[in-house]
Amino acid sequence: MIGYLCSLVILVFAACIAQQFVPVFMSLYEARILILPLVFLCSAVTVNAGPMLLLAFICGFLWDAQHLLGPPGGHPQVYTEPVEMMMFGYSIVLYAAMGFLMQGIQPLFREGKWPVSAALSGVAIFLYLTAEFLLITFVRGDFMVTRGVVMKITLSSLLSMLLSPLVFWVLFKLAALFRHTIRYEGLKTNRRVYTG
Amino acid sequence: MKPLNLVALLLFVGGLVWALTLSERSVREIQSMYYATISKFQRGGSEVESTARAFLKEVEHSRDLEMRLDAIEQEFGKLRALEPRLRQLEIENNELLAALDFKERTQFKVTAARVIKRQPATWWSSVTIDRGRDADIAPHLPVLASGGLAGKVDLVGPNTSTVILLTDESCQVSVQVAGTAEVGILSGQRGQYGEAPLLRLRYLTKDAQIRPGMKVITTGRGGLFHPNILVGTVEAFEPGAFDGEAFVKPSVDFQNLSIVFVTSKTDQEQKETPE
Repeated sequence: MIGYLCSLVILVFAACIAQQFVPVFMSLYEARILILPLVFLCSAVTVNAGPMLLLAFICGFLWDAQHLLGPPGGHPQVYTEPVEMMMFGYSIVLYAAMGFLMQGIQPLFREGKWPVSAALSGVAIFLYLTAEFLLITFVRGDFMVTRGVVMKITLSSLLSMLLSPLVFWVLFKLAALFRHTIRYEGLKTNRRVYTG
Repeated sequence: MKPLNLVALLLFVGGLVWALTLSERSVREIQSMYYATISKFQRGGSEVESTARAFLKEVEHSRDLEMRLDAIEQEFGKLRALEPRLRQLEIENNELLAALDFKERTQFKVTAARVIKRQPATWWSSVTIDRGRDADIAPHLPVLASGGLAGKVDLVGPNTSTVILLTDESCQVSVQVAGTAEVGILSGQRGQYGEAPLLRLRYLTKDAQIRPGMKVITTGRGGLFHPNILVGTVEAFEPGAFDGEAFVKPSVDFQNLSIVFVTSKTDQEQKETPE
């Protein structure tokens, strides 16, 4: 388990580096493939709650370190209503919430139904981006949902979801390498049937 | 709940509280360390992105090239006929510029930088440039581009920096509508993707005499931007109950931003202070 968890932490750092190489699709409403969230979501379904929280903390920390904006600057007499900035660490909460969502379908995943998890990773990214946008809206005010925002969230989720089989393939390889059991095929046949 | 999970949850909450209560300075230090580590990969990523973009562009435009060549040849013929008139206008323009002391007012010490990554963050309108602390870049320095003001420096790494663009709502600029006494705060608008962005100019008087096509320039107030930098042109004006609001088309082409100019620290220090 420890070996597998360490490999997941390394995989998360590798995903963070890989994210730098992924271009933004400017013509598709600036949609992007979110490798780091995807790796986290796929990993979350293969581990228990404790390791998932550790991964959520690392991913959220790295995400905020990369994306958070600094203070707006300028003299307060002139810039009387500066735009509110997000607090460092908010992504950790969002990652943990999405991680728990993925853990909800862990029994299906352990039965070998990984395509359900792959589809849910897309849904989770959609929810993650929506939650992030709503949080920004809540902090800054002026609620507005444009077609551009909806398209950006949807396309980013779909593009990221397409990569999830590849991430699951890597996870299965790592699990085999470290002899960690993430799939119990036995559950398929040993399920109890209650006849009343 | 299993005891191990409870311990994990408590540790997570502890870590979360620590992260959420970090001071601004600590956050900046963490981000600086992060960017120092990741900048090598950002440059690598930039090369991949540039190659991919160049390839796509070439494929996209190869069919149009022949048609364009014909059109250009026709245009060339027309332009040759206009050349003597243009020369005369150029002389007149130089004389007028000298009279306005234009050069004196717009001469900034600048550092040229290449945009190495577009829109690195999901929700902020920003770019990453290939100049950082090593080139004397500092936070909040104004960034210019062909056409006018492009934004300001946000985060500075050893050899890369993040520039928050004018199209982001957090980049506020004190501006004036040229030829009027109207001053206001200009910023980008949230949720503008896949379209030509319009900037929002707020706090104008409700009965301001503002017409589409009027130029918008920086006032220099507020300690962030130099005065008299072109920002854009007014597209529309909407009077409200208490104040007016205008929508401004930026003078910089943000879709094709590739080279920017960061003004120097000394220029920043000499800027006008708030009144």
